[in-house]
Amino acid sequence: MEYFAHLALSAGIFIILSVSLNLINGQCGQFSLGHAGFWAIGAYTSAYYGVYHPLPVPDFINLFIGCGIGFICAALAGVIIGVPCLRLRGDYLAIATLGFSEIIRIIIINLDIVGGPRGFTNIPNWSNLGWVYLWVAITIIFCANLVRGTHGRAIISIREDEIAAESMGIFTFKYKSLAFILGAGFAGIAGSLFAHSQQFLHPNGFTFMWSVIILLMVILGGLGSISGSVIGAIILTLLPEVLRLMGETIANWRMVIYSLLLIFLMLLRPSGIMGKKEFNLPFLREPR
Amino acid sequence: MILETKDITMRFGGLVAVDKMNIQLGENDLVGVIGPNGAGKTTIFNMITGIYKPTEGDIFLNGQNMVGKHPAHITQAGIARTFQNIRLFKNLSVLDNIRLAAHSNTKYGLAANIFKTKSYKVEEQRIKDEAFELLKIFNLEDNAYKISRNLPYGQQRRLEIARALATKPKVLLLDEPAAGMNPNETAELSELIKWVRKEFKIAILLIEHDMKLVMNVCERIYVVDYGVLIAQGAPTEIQNDPKVIEAYLGQEVT
Repeated sequence: MEYFAHLALSAGIFIILSVSLNLINGQCGQFSLGHAGFWAIGAYTSAYYGVYHPLPVPDFINLFIGCGIGFICAALAGVIIGVPCLRLRGDYLAIATLGFSEIIRIIIINLDIVGGPRGFTNIPNWSNLGWVYLWVAITIIFCANLVRGTHGRAIISIREDEIAAESMGIFTFKYKSLAFILGAGFAGIAGSLFAHSQQFLHPNGFTFMWSVIILLMVILGGLGSISGSVIGAIILTLLPEVLRLMGETIANWRMVIYSLLLIFLMLLRPSGIMGKKEFNLPFLREPR
Repeated sequence: MILETKDITMRFGGLVAVDKMNIQLGENDLVGVIGPNGAGKTTIFNMITGIYKPTEGDIFLNGQNMVGKHPAHITQAGIARTFQNIRLFKNLSVLDNIRLAAHSNTKYGLAANIFKTKSYKVEEQRIKDEAFELLKIFNLEDNAYKISRNLPYGQQRRLEIARALATKPKVLLLDEPAAGMNPNETAELSELIKWVRKEFKIAILLIEHDMKLVMNVCERIYVVDYGVLIAQGAPTEIQNDPKVIEAYLGQEVT
């Protein structure tokens, strides 16, 4: 039972991460590979607060404060990396953000106060399944409401055609930064929830590979689709575990099967499971 | 004069793409810019809309200098444009294309958007109503929820003009609006352009290769060749100008 609860919890955290990365990569069209960096910042700052300066208030209020700190610090990092780097396009931005997330990891390794290479231990256990899914809901509602307003539309127009967007009176740099900062901030929240449910952090848990896996979730679900990102996160979290349960042979080959499934899915549906479409309940749809 | 360029020059390295161009556009004028391929017509548009910063010269909109301003600022000040190769937001619906143009006139903040406050709902309703009004004028309201990439070519051209008008401009720049249209569509378009000028009370500057359209629609024409203004005047004057004939057909062999 604990095993399934743990799976559900990491699925929830990956949903927050993939939906927030979708805001940057899918909706704004800026190729960022630094999501693990923002995630790490959120996790470590919130854990630092929890270990060294927790306020004497109930746990769930402390968790909210931790999430707030994670959001603000990751968003600030988003400003620092975003403002100079968003002038770059495509592959160049990807490389710059990748470098940034590695810098974050190396800094953490060299910070003794958060455990350095030994890992950060004794983080208070404030989070649980309920709180994680509350934040999942907040993240999804936030992003879904955003794209239905003028700010979200401006963000999407940058992906569609930056020159046309500028000649429609949209300050593209401002909205690129907004998408980047909000995406980074929500990754920070995911980090905070992760820290307070795992109770242990290690710099190697935030390598470049995790940025790639989060990106895979977004692409698998469909770049630009919020519901796609949710589906992608759930599939890629559960798939290796489901394969593990299917007998010894499959369990041994599970990473191979996992990769093959990804290849076939991309061959059959290059635009991802949902494409750019959204799964909408009737009462959520825009009235026509 | 609503729009006036004073000696604007654009150099790309050693190449002078546009040389000391003076264009004047009155309150409700309909003026054409013609010239052979590569004459620098689109470069003029790109300078006026701020995509390029002119190497020299000034651009005045209502007496205010626009040189060096961000393209979005220039659009908000009242210059809207269409593009030679259609630049719609291809994966968005027709309605969203128009709604995006209303962006700079939208008055609610990010928080209002996220929490769907009353001001958000009121503004969104207004934007939607205005968008539908515009779509009705351009005969596109039945396609409002279609993805714009799936529209036929002529309708995409019309949508681009509608989108430019949705920014509420004082000056509209049309870059080859009839490119790729058949004679029927071109005839419809020239009626549409005249009608837009009258109905929206704006000035229109258009680049065009289709002589029939230009001669039929424009009151005044500028002829550009190799970045230099070689003639200007009414359509009939232009048609008989020896310099213009030379630019288009070449010199007579003596």
